[in-house]
Amino acid sequence: MNGKKSIFVVTVLALLAVPALARIKLVALPERAATVIRLDNPNATLIEEERVLTLQKGLNKVDFSWKAVSIDEDSIRLTVLDHPDQVNLLNVSYPPNEAALVWEISSSGDYAETVRISYLLRNIDRLVTYKAVADKEETKLDLRSYLILRNFSGEDFDKARVLLDYGEAFEQGIDHEETKQLLFLKAPEVPVTKVWTWDVRRVPRQHWDPSKVEGENVGIPVSYRIVNNKESKLGEFALWGGKARLFQDDGHDSTIFLGEDNTAMVPVGEKTELYIGDSRDIVVTQKQMRDQQINLRKNNEGKIVLYDTDEILTAKIENFKDKPAVLTMIQQIPGQWDMEDCNMEYKRKDAYTLEFEISLPARTADGPASKELTMHYHRRNVR
Amino acid sequence: MKRKMLFIALCAFTAAPSVRGKVDLVTLPSRERVQITIYNSADLTLVREARPLTLKEGNNSLQFSWENTLIDPTSLEMLPKAHADAIHIAELTYPPRVRNLGLWNITSEVAEKVPVEITYLTSGLTWRAFYMGTLTSDEKHMRLQGYVRVTNNSGEDYENAQTRLIVGKVHLLDEIAALARRQYPYGSPVPVPRSVSGPVVMEKMAEVTWSRRAGVELAAAGEMADKKEIIKEGLSEYFLYTIEGTETIPTGWSKRLPSFDTDEIPVINLYKYDENRFGTVVVRYLSFKNDEEHELGETPIPGGNLKVYRNLDPQQHLSYIGQSSFKYIPVDEDVELNLGAVSDVVVEPKLMDAKTENYRFDRRNNISGWDDVQTWTMEVRNTRDIPVKIEIYRTFGTSYWKITNKGVFGEFSKEDLFSVKYTILLPPFSKQAFEYTVRFYQGTRQEDWKP
Repeated sequence: MNGKKSIFVVTVLALLAVPALARIKLVALPERAATVIRLDNPNATLIEEERVLTLQKGLNKVDFSWKAVSIDEDSIRLTVLDHPDQVNLLNVSYPPNEAALVWEISSSGDYAETVRISYLLRNIDRLVTYKAVADKEETKLDLRSYLILRNFSGEDFDKARVLLDYGEAFEQGIDHEETKQLLFLKAPEVPVTKVWTWDVRRVPRQHWDPSKVEGENVGIPVSYRIVNNKESKLGEFALWGGKARLFQDDGHDSTIFLGEDNTAMVPVGEKTELYIGDSRDIVVTQKQMRDQQINLRKNNEGKIVLYDTDEILTAKIENFKDKPAVLTMIQQIPGQWDMEDCNMEYKRKDAYTLEFEISLPARTADGPASKELTMHYHRRNVR
Repeated sequence: MKRKMLFIALCAFTAAPSVRGKVDLVTLPSRERVQITIYNSADLTLVREARPLTLKEGNNSLQFSWENTLIDPTSLEMLPKAHADAIHIAELTYPPRVRNLGLWNITSEVAEKVPVEITYLTSGLTWRAFYMGTLTSDEKHMRLQGYVRVTNNSGEDYENAQTRLIVGKVHLLDEIAALARRQYPYGSPVPVPRSVSGPVVMEKMAEVTWSRRAGVELAAAGEMADKKEIIKEGLSEYFLYTIEGTETIPTGWSKRLPSFDTDEIPVINLYKYDENRFGTVVVRYLSFKNDEEHELGETPIPGGNLKVYRNLDPQQHLSYIGQSSFKYIPVDEDVELNLGAVSDVVVEPKLMDAKTENYRFDRRNNISGWDDVQTWTMEVRNTRDIPVKIEIYRTFGTSYWKITNKGVFGEFSKEDLFSVKYTILLPPFSKQAFEYTVRFYQGTRQEDWKP
């Protein structure tokens, strides 16, 4: 009961001139030799298997059929390996109402011919997950990546060579409905940057003043930034997208779980930010302190057709942590605008987006470290 | 008749590394130590078990099963705590057509007893904080007692477990309970899952769970009275509470543990009047600060429910004042506990005068702008026998306003574009009144408004 066979290859001697409805199948049942599972494309899995066909001089029909597996018919290819010049694939035909196809092969002699059959097989795939343990200071990560092979194709693979888009092939058997988790990357000292972000685009207006939000804290999202490059002891290949779970060394020979996030594919040289959780020890209180229409321009009716605004926005940032932190603050001003006065430096990310890097010292005996941003700006030519 | 839900079996490797050829059982190592780290922002617990494994040189196969539990199988991890370089954990297999079972293939260069650590995430263990506040009869001080209540519905008895609690908001993509219930650990690429021979197993599970519950009660009864210290420390954005010693919390049980007990926290009796938030009622707050001056400030205070009582006499008879639930309070943050609407402190706004003036007309002599001028008196009464602090918020529907205050109005500040705040301290049994006049600039009169 060594699993079930779902894919069959049968060589049929070309005895009858006309293929009858009840097709004759059977001459030899060639065993599958080397099998390769190629997982380099995240969207489809390519199976390559080698089989030895007993070919006779003349026309041969080889029947390839499958059941309870899902094969993309148009993807099936046959490659003759031993005598490519003497063995010719003439045509492929698909019998009605059958999960099968018949290769018509012409051979110039009697050969035990090794062929490679390849096809796209559905429901066998791979996932990638990450597990990282940060040190207590949160400056570096012990990063591990696991390959998860999932086989729900209907086919058992006793022994196959598994290929990814890089690295060595490895031998692995995987049965139908089996899942395997394999460690495939270990990077023990990956530098990491911790990032706190307050982004006006993600904070609803009623959360601008957290003291007026009942029942819940307005958290500041915290992320870990990792760069896929040589300095990080990575950078050899793109990191596949997948779920990352982050832990931290707690200094007591144990860890705590920090959080988890999905990372997209990280090409070499690029960075990824993993959102682990919310800080409730940094509090941002934003207020609009002025919003006035100025420089009014009127039409003959006396109606205002064009105006500028005079606006003041303040944001108080308090750090209740006993460690310093750098908060990235994103502010937006729509339309045409100019800054009359701003007490902090900012980078213009795009026409409407301002980014502030605000360094906050640790809290002291006197209380939380506090800074206040004041932006005095004008929106121009508002209609 | 104790049942182990988590089984570990060390198996000798026979010819093929396949599960189907059923493996021989060599040892069944028991749990030496267990540590549970329970989160409160999500149904999530990190479990760390130490078990000794007797390994052979060469290939070893280790079977781990977790029927009737709420373990996330994708979180399983094993780490050798000795000979780390000589022991290679090649793979973890979730065999087909078997649920709640994992098989580790381990290659060992040593043949001896090796301590290993198995970690995983489970759901079903939760904790929450709650508080009792007892005010002195003059309501100037409060005794604050914090408790944590740990509940185990995980399906697994954690005996003599080092118990740790995490305060903080952790980001999760999937619920651990949902991952635990999955048919396949990592799901399946097939859109509709194939049927499995499930129902029979389910029946057995239910029966077993029931028989366990009956056996467990005795063990727990003696544990409830222990009073232990909780050690608190900050880690990343979280706070870690470690309960001294170990705890046994059988499944189905909860346990209340004291977290802190602080006497004599100076409190301010704060009352707020803000029509925009509460309507026309005065809401009572208790205010203090999570800092050293207030006998606190060592760690943040996790959010929870607080019941407030007042001490009536030396015999310690109590009167229940009300309850409030509060948010997470960082160190040095001001705390304001909402105890609900009251009638013994009164704020009475009265519109005393309303007029319009400064009309502007357009070319057709239609009205294009004017001022609305309102005069309000605010009467504030404290009918209590203790001094109180009152914050009165007034919110206007426009940002084009000017205000003048008259009388004893305490501390005045502009809150934001639309609102102002008056802060008044009132002695016991007293009243006070002040007046403000606010001018609203309407229509084209707004062009004359200056900040």
